[in-house]
Amino acid sequence: MRPEIAALQEAMEGQGYIADPAIATALFLAREMHRPLLVEGDAGVGKTEIAKVLARLMDTELIRLQCYEGLDVSTALYEWNYQRQMLRLRLAEGEGKGPDEIEDLIFGRAYLLERPLLRAITRREGPPVLLIDEIDRADDAFEAFLLEILSDFQVTIPELGTVRAEHVPHVILTSNRTREIGDALRRRCLYLYVEHPSLEKEVRILRARVPGASVHLAEEIGRFMRALRRRRLSKVPGVAETIDWARALCHLHSEHLDRETVAETLGCILKDQHDQRELGRAELDAVLAEAVG
Amino acid sequence: MSSDLVCHLARFGRALRDSGVKVSLSDEADGLAALTLVDLGDRGEVRLALRTALKIRPRDVALFEELFERLWSARDERGSSNPPLAAPRLASRPRPAGKLPSRRESEARAATAAEGEEPGYSREAVLRRKSFEDYSAADAAAMERLLERLALRLATRPSRRRVPTRGRGEADLRRSFRRAVAQGGEFLSLARRTRPIEETRLVVLCDTSGSMDPHARFLLTFVLALRRVARRSEVFAFNTALVRLTPWLRAGRVDLTLDRLASQVPDWSGGTRIGECLAEFVEYYLDELIDGKTVVLILSDGLDRGDLAPLQGAMRALGARARRVLWLNPLAGDPRYEPTARAMAAALPYVDRLLPAHNLESLERLLPLLAA
Repeated sequence: MRPEIAALQEAMEGQGYIADPAIATALFLAREMHRPLLVEGDAGVGKTEIAKVLARLMDTELIRLQCYEGLDVSTALYEWNYQRQMLRLRLAEGEGKGPDEIEDLIFGRAYLLERPLLRAITRREGPPVLLIDEIDRADDAFEAFLLEILSDFQVTIPELGTVRAEHVPHVILTSNRTREIGDALRRRCLYLYVEHPSLEKEVRILRARVPGASVHLAEEIGRFMRALRRRRLSKVPGVAETIDWARALCHLHSEHLDRETVAETLGCILKDQHDQRELGRAELDAVLAEAVG
Repeated sequence: MSSDLVCHLARFGRALRDSGVKVSLSDEADGLAALTLVDLGDRGEVRLALRTALKIRPRDVALFEELFERLWSARDERGSSNPPLAAPRLASRPRPAGKLPSRRESEARAATAAEGEEPGYSREAVLRRKSFEDYSAADAAAMERLLERLALRLATRPSRRRVPTRGRGEADLRRSFRRAVAQGGEFLSLARRTRPIEETRLVVLCDTSGSMDPHARFLLTFVLALRRVARRSEVFAFNTALVRLTPWLRAGRVDLTLDRLASQVPDWSGGTRIGECLAEFVEYYLDELIDGKTVVLILSDGLDRGDLAPLQGAMRALGARARRVLWLNPLAGDPRYEPTARAMAAALPYVDRLLPAHNLESLERLLPLLAA
């Protein structure tokens, strides 16, 4: 293994993120090749966390754009500050300025509200980490627009001209795969698929994130989650749920898993009423038996 | 960089393409750039780097791994301890339908549970969970009314994206302001924007073979109800051949329409050849009917003993083009159901969601997924 990749993996671990070689390699390549990294995987496997850890490692700002349906340019890129423009307009009229002069005045940088994408390419203090979260929730039109930004790292604002990136940001895109990302955007990025962690990795994550949990408890929880994920569920719990659950169990001072505690705290990991109902008592006992051994 | 490596990568890329994995030239260029950055002696690292740079999706991982094992010459011992990734999801033990635990039983249990749980017990609540197989004629009529209400929900879903409008809507400050500048700073009128109603486009492929008989009628009723609100939908039936039903769908009594449909479909309640029928659909209708806004709905139990290759090819083509591919399987209503029937297992990697479709409740849960 290349020493830089091993070092990156170790550094991430130092930040509390247990990365397997696949994650470290992808992140290393994205950084070296100056390409956005598209991270896909089920909810709760730690996609967003990758960007956060990267920002901490590089000691830089994390700029986050949360996507949703109907996200448009004025929320993602820039918007004019209308109230200030209006006031300035009235003042300028009082001063007897001509229309061209007024237009230059109110469509200046001072009246521009930077949204995450513009902020990411205009940051002066060095490249930030730009997290474009849940890109699958935005629509095709936004995806096309994003493609343009990620290709050139420049933005044209009609009233102002073209703004070029001071530093090319490190871009991480995440997707829960509720919809397939377009080929063009995918091509633009490097790609990483994060799977649910192996038993060993999950136990290590628990040990790192929930220090209060004993080795014994962490292993039981890990085995329980592995068994649970094999069942047919509509919302498969991710690592985020495992960590929540481990914390809850610590607060309840549970040293090991038993039927009663599991039943009481099941809401931490199964967040779908249908799943809770489907996974009846007998099935739960079977999962528990696999975990406790 | 050795030209040897370039050739090797090009060969590998072609092998991937030949197996149907989408790898473009620009992906290969990325692969090459990535290979210059990693330890070429470490086979595990090369594998991971190629997966990242060639953008291998989870559904293609098994193929990628297989080809990598075969074609990527082992220059060195396997340096990595990475476990091989997800094995192909092909079923190892196909289970014949007859061996499935009785669905009626568990269904009956669910229905009783529903009566106990629901605070406002109603006929509708029971109907929602009753399996289609147990329906009486009166139930069917009640279902039609319910389905119509459900379908309407789909029709009135406004888009989240706002577009300029001349009519009523919220103020669009950006456009208003620009207009005001042009009019010497006076707001003579406000520009407005609104959220248009989006029309869903569905393509439904319904299995009408014998094993689907108790369900096909109800699912088609559901489809007919949907079609009143999603007018651009297309409906096909398949068993041993593919038939386009859209021209036969007319407003009017559902039962009459269904009888008319049954007479149009040769071999209704006969056997199935899912793969060949879907391949036919892909060949003749894909370009015309499926785009990035189309939701494809396949209604089938996946019980088919035919050749798997055409099925996989067709499913891959559908998945790549449609907005979403949903597979409704009446058998999936049983909690113990595992998608191990050969055809079902082969299609599964290309399906966005496999959903039960044995009662009204399950169809209701489907609605949000159909929206454009």
